[in-house]
Order: sequence, then C-alpha cells, then structure tokens
Amino acid sequence: MTFIVRQIATTADGREIIRSNPFPADEIGIGRSTTNAIHLPDLAVNPDHATIRKRDDGQIIVESSSGQNFTLDGKHRISVTINPSAGAELGFGGHVIIVSEEGDDIVLTVKRVEALSDSAEIRSESTLYTLKGLLPGKRLSAWGFIALVLAAFLVWPIYTWATWRGVEERPDQFYADTMWSSGPLSSAHHALEKDCQACHVDAFVTVTDNTCLTCHEEDAHDHAAKPRLLTARGGPEGLEVIGATFAAAFNKPPGRCVECHSEHEGSGAMEPTAQKFCADCHDGMDRRLTDTKLENASDFGISHPQFRPAVLVTPGGKNPPRKRVSLDQKPTENNGLKFPHDVHLSKTGGVAQMGRRLSTTYGFGDSLVCKDCHTADPKGVRFEPVDMKEDCSMCHSLAFDEIGGTVRTLRHGEPAMVQADLRAYYRSTRPTRPINLGGMKRRRPGTDNEARVASDYARAVQFRPSRANMAISQVFSRGGACYDCHGVTPPTARGRVDYGIMPVTQTDRYMHNGWFSHEAHNDEKCTSCHNAPASKSAEDLLLPGIKTCRECHGGEFQKASDVPSTCAMCHDYHADDGAPWLIREEQKDKQQKPDKKIARR
Amino acid sequence: MASNAITAPPARKKVAMHDGFLKHAGYRWLKISSALMLICIVSYIFIDVSPRHNGGSWYGYTLGTIGALLILWLTMLGVRKRAMTPGQWSLKAWTSAHIYLGLSLIVIGTLHTGFQLGWNIHTAAYIFMMIVIISGIVGIYFYATIPKALSDNRDEMTETEMLENLRSLDRQLHEAAQPLSAEHATLVLQSLEQDPFGGGFFQRISGRYPDCATRQAQADLRRERAYQPKMGGDDPLDKVDALLEKKEATLARVRRHLKLKAMLQVWLFIHVPMTFALIASLTAHIISVFFYW
Repeated sequence: MTFIVRQIATTADGREIIRSNPFPADEIGIGRSTTNAIHLPDLAVNPDHATIRKRDDGQIIVESSSGQNFTLDGKHRISVTINPSAGAELGFGGHVIIVSEEGDDIVLTVKRVEALSDSAEIRSESTLYTLKGLLPGKRLSAWGFIALVLAAFLVWPIYTWATWRGVEERPDQFYADTMWSSGPLSSAHHALEKDCQACHVDAFVTVTDNTCLTCHEEDAHDHAAKPRLLTARGGPEGLEVIGATFAAAFNKPPGRCVECHSEHEGSGAMEPTAQKFCADCHDGMDRRLTDTKLENASDFGISHPQFRPAVLVTPGGKNPPRKRVSLDQKPTENNGLKFPHDVHLSKTGGVAQMGRRLSTTYGFGDSLVCKDCHTADPKGVRFEPVDMKEDCSMCHSLAFDEIGGTVRTLRHGEPAMVQADLRAYYRSTRPTRPINLGGMKRRRPGTDNEARVASDYARAVQFRPSRANMAISQVFSRGGACYDCHGVTPPTARGRVDYGIMPVTQTDRYMHNGWFSHEAHNDEKCTSCHNAPASKSAEDLLLPGIKTCRECHGGEFQKASDVPSTCAMCHDYHADDGAPWLIREEQKDKQQKPDKKIARR
Repeated sequence: MASNAITAPPARKKVAMHDGFLKHAGYRWLKISSALMLICIVSYIFIDVSPRHNGGSWYGYTLGTIGALLILWLTMLGVRKRAMTPGQWSLKAWTSAHIYLGLSLIVIGTLHTGFQLGWNIHTAAYIFMMIVIISGIVGIYFYATIPKALSDNRDEMTETEMLENLRSLDRQLHEAAQPLSAEHATLVLQSLEQDPFGGGFFQRISGRYPDCATRQAQADLRRERAYQPKMGGDDPLDKVDALLEKKEATLARVRRHLKLKAMLQVWLFIHVPMTFALIASLTAHIISVFFYW
C-alpha cells in the first residue's frame, strides 16, 4: 500500500499537466513547506498543515498537525478517518485533495480550485470599471419610476374619481385626485377642497354651468343672453386661437361660468373680475353686437362713455317714467319741486340771516350747508329723500294758528286737509274785535263813529267764513306757503279753490348699472362734484360728469392717478342693487382688519 | 495678365481640429437656446394673459407644448447616441443641442408654471424636470473637468494594463510569501483575496477604502518588524513588503481611476431614471389637466 500523489497543474491555455509521485510511507505530510509529500503552494495552508496516516484496516486518518482545520466534503474538520475505497474530497485553502483507491494504492489527486488571488479571477473588463452592480440599474429604476409615478399620479386618482362619482360630499380623508389640484380653491369654495367630484363630474368634460348653478341658484343670474354674450365677445384673435384650439379639441365650450371664475388660483377671496374680461366684450362692442344700445368701454380713464343717468320724464307715481340721457346733453329734470340751491346756500341774504337766527335751535352755521337739509341713508351710500317736516319746516313754517301756546300747522302733503283746516279756522274764529266797540276805551266823540265801527265789525263777522277762500287761494298762489316750493294745479272751475299740488318724485339713484357710494367719498366736499351753489333751479341736474370723476379716478393701469379704478369698482357682472363685489370684499376686509385700515389712512 | 498676378490668397478657413460638444459650431446651440429663452421671457412679460399667467392660458399651452415636445426630443438622445454619425446632425451636434436646449427648459418650464407651485402632480412634474436638468448640469461639469484628471491619473496605462499590473503583483506576492509563517501568510492572503474592485458605491465614489487589506497587511508587517533586528541576507519579508508597497501604489491609481469613472457615470443614474419619472409625471400632468378640466 503506497500513497500516490498526483499533482494536476493547469497551463495558461487551459491544458492539464499531471505529475504522479509515489510515497511508500505510512504517513505523509500536507503543507506549504516543500518538505511535505503533498506540497501546496497556497498561503492559506500552514507550512505543516496536516498528516495522512494509514491504518491497518486500510482506512486512512487525516489529522491536522498545526491546529488549523481543513474540510472533508466541504465540512470543516480537524481530524477524520476515511475509507479510501469510498473516496473523499479534502480541502486545504484553495486546493482540493481527492482521495481514491487504485488497487492497493491510495491515490491523492491534488488540484488548485481557487484562483491565486481575487484579481486573477476571470472578469468582464467591460463592466469592471463601471458602476454596474453598485447602483440599481438605470433601465430598472427608469421602469420602476414610470410604474410608480403613473400608479400614484394617474391610476390612483382616476380610480378615486371613478369610485366617488355622483357623491355630494365625501367623508373627511385623503383622496388621490386632490393631487391633481393645481392650487387651493378660493375661500368661498374652501369647503369643496376635498370634493373634486362636486365640480369635476365627467372625465375630459370641463366644469359646466349646471354644476355652479346647483349651489348658486339665485346669485348667478345671466349678464346677458348667452348668444349675445358670445357675439359681443367675438372670435379668438391672434394667438388666442391657440387657446381656443385646445378648448375645442378637449371639449371646452366657450361662455361658461368658469371662464371668468377661474378657480385653483390660490386661497383667499376669489379675484375680482379683471378689467380685461369686461373689455373683451365691451371694447368695440358695437362692431360685433350691432344692435346694442350700449356704448363701447374698455377703460375708465381712457375709453368710457359719458354717464347716462335715468332722468325723470314726469314726476309722480310709484314708478315714474325715466329716460337715460347722457350728461353731455345737459339734461334737466322736473321733479315737481321748486328749489333754488343758490339762494339757500348763499353766504349772504335772507336765508343765511334766517339760518343764523335759528342757529341756536337747529345748529345751523353762518349760512346753510348741504347737510342742514340732506340726510345720508344709514349706509352712507345715498341720501334720504328730503322731508318737509324734518328738513324744511325749520324755516318754511306752515303755522297758521296758536291755541293756548300750541301752534297749529297746515297738513303737509294733503292739500284737501289744508283747505279744510283753513275753512274751519275762519269758521270758528272771529275777526279781531275793534277796541272801540263797547267799554269806555278811547272813543271818538259822537255815536256815528261807534255805529260805523259796529256795522263794519258786524259785516266782518258775517263775511268771516268767506275769507277762507281767499286765504286758501293765497296759500296756493304766488307768495303762498305751498307755491313757494310746489307746482300747483289750478282749481277745477272758476270760483272754486280746490287747488292741487303737482306730484313730486325725489330720485335717490340715477345710475342703476353703476355703483357710487357717497360714504367712500367722505374726504371730498359736496361741492367738489355737485355745483349746487350756482344752481338757480331745481330743474338743474346736479350730477357730475365723467370728467369730474376722472380728476381722481384713472383706468386700471393709470397708476399715476389718485385712484386707479377697474371696471369692477363701479360695475358688477352679476349686478344687483347692492355694491359691486369688489367693494363688498373691501368692506369685509375693513371689518376684519380695522387696524390696517387706520394704518393705511 | 495683371489680374492673374494679383490673385488674392484664398480666405483661410478656420477649421478647428477638435471642439467639444459645448463649443460645437461656434456655440451655435448656445445662441439658439439663448434666443429661445429671451423670446420666452420677453413675451412672458409683455403678453397680457387674463387673469394672470398660468399653464392654462393660450400662452401657457404654447409653452407647455413646446416644453413637452422638447423633453421628448431631449430624451431621444438616449436612442440617438447609440448611432454615431458625423456631419451636420452628428452626435456631437446632437449632444450640443441636447445640452443647450435642455437648459432652456428651465426658462420654458418655469414660465409655463406661471410661478404657481404647490403640493400637486403638476409641481411634481416640474420638480422631476428640475432634477433632470440639475443632474445634467452636474454631468456637463464632470464631462468638462474629469477627462483630463482621468488621463493624468492613468499615465498612459489602459484599463487592461492596470488589471494585468495588479494580477502580476498578486502572483509575485503569492510567490514571495511562500516561505512565510502561517500568520504572515494570512496577512498577505488577505491582500490577495480582497477584490480590488470591491467595496460599495460610496467607497467607489469617495475613493476611500478604510478596510484596505493590502495597506493593513503592510502596516501589520511593518509594525511587527519595527523592533526586530534586520536578519540580513534574503529575508522573504523584505520582498513581500516591497511588493505590498507596489501593490498599494497601483491600487491607489486604480481606485482614483474608478472614482473618476464613477463620477462620469453616477449623474446618469439620476439623469436617466428621473427622465423617465419626468415623462411619466408629464403624462399624468397632461392627462389630469384634461381629465379634470
């Protein structure tokens, strides 16, 4: 029984060279040292690593002599007994020793299985110097991102849309389609922030007016009939064709609420309608909407027609006829009253003198001023109608009798009652009794005189009631209390005194399509705009023209003007009787932040 | 006759031997891109869009369409680069256009947003775009600066030569270490068995390998021998030490080479996947806008 050691070496071109050496000994050594029968030039192997010893029964014992272990069929061992006929594979560092039996001999085939060093291993040089393997591959991560992004930003929101269709209000939680929101909603619609489906009903169909009108049943009436609106606006011009093409291609009809009310533009109040939106139609509108009665307007400072107040045609009645006349035509108006503003506002003369005399009672100044007669309405926007009792009677007294310190006055506004009261007065009173009738006072000598006085007086008493007619005529005629201020209708027949008063209509608002608040102009004097001190007649329409307004108000972009003013300052698209939306928002702001307002002033 | 004598010399045509993708054709694409950006900015300022600039106005649609088409075209460089051709539409011209038109997207994309940004898909697409552009800028910077450093470091060695150099040193080490004791042999073995191209991404990009076995082996051997008397004659450890030092120098060169090459490549690992993230989010952006509109 001999140990035969077969060393297998591989040449550079892969050919195997086998060298066999017999060792007729009972024990041979394994190690890096060249003294060993099995010499392994392997740094992982101890110079004297192990010994192989024959046993009498034909088995061999492999035992570590260095304390370093080796492997038997891949398992770490320090000492093993092997039956060579069964075969085994021993591992020492990068070498294996295959144990087998050939006849009586024990063959130990030695072979290097691991590369000498790591760098010696076969490598693909094309990727060796790249980042391959160190980072996730570009292709892989590209596909990963595509899948992730499409799933998160497209599929998920569409799924959310599909599952919540037709629901009025969604419960409070996260919804994927809110990721599509291009910006916060305005404060008015803030509650809808999580309810995309409330407005965005159908896929690829733009928000329709019906959606808006679900909530805005009353406050969103039409500005004008839609066909007229679209005609007035005209087709897209120039580069706007691009936008229109997109709109047409993606099912976005023109003239919808959201065209002006653009949402997702940021939290806070919705932006007031920009002047451009008005000008889109109203600039040069007569060319497109040929039958319009409106004049063109595009900017208050540059292109805006003269004001056309609704002037009374005839006063009286609940809804007296009115006609819109341009102030350029210098319209006058008969409101049924006579009132020379110049006389009343004069700093000299009877009226001023009377005012001074009554100043302690009524708080007048050196002469009368507007507020002595005109009272602002509770909101300060316009003025209350002038009231005879409140605003005129301080001077224009209707007193005609005094009984026990109580002054009796004629009933204002009821001509028939005036006539009746005067008749009653003359019926129930006697003429002043002459002092020489009866008694001993200051008589003239003789009875003739006495008789004449008595008969005169008797005649006066007799005719006293008929004096009423004269008094009535006087009150209603030139110089009389009524005639001073009112137009008087003559009696129905000669000899009768059924005078009447012409109807009076006081106009509290001339311009119903534009907004003007007196309160907002508190810093100005009345006379800055209303030339009342020069007005000799109540027929003068003391409204200022656009020229006066433009002294302070310029157009939206005339930043040099005192008050650059957009259309929205006076006009509203969905106008009602109240202030325009812009003004209301400003007032809301002022209420919320009074400090700021003070600071600004 | 006279005219023959005074023939003007032909105007010298300037032919540059080589100009990079940045300077290609006298900065042609830089000029085109600058003009495009200028047009966008000026028109943004002067075109009055009501109520205000946003992606949904006609102007916004125009910028958005230009931007989206540009993004798709820029992406095509990935296809185009696989076929190198010379001429007017050479790969270099294409790359130059890619860079400068890509930069112009900063202006086009930003103006398309109308500066309305928020936590939504639209801004996500914008952010992806900006990541792609910024990684591209980093890439341009690397491409402009690294090749020289790379060339200096290689010292006219090829990558194959570097690898062969390492293999040779390893073989010599293995040979020289044969007489060593088990402990010393283990140290050398550690150096041999460590993958010179191993280490994670961060080691690769930083060029720092704190657990370098070669350095460790050399240090340990030196520490051990510091107080031992010189044996004189043929101490195998002397040879091993010299070989370890050689290997360390080669490793340093290889690692610097790896670091520079990693820098040349790493931005693409952001640039390319983010481009596809951008295209996906762009798709979602466009569809969502028309889906809920």
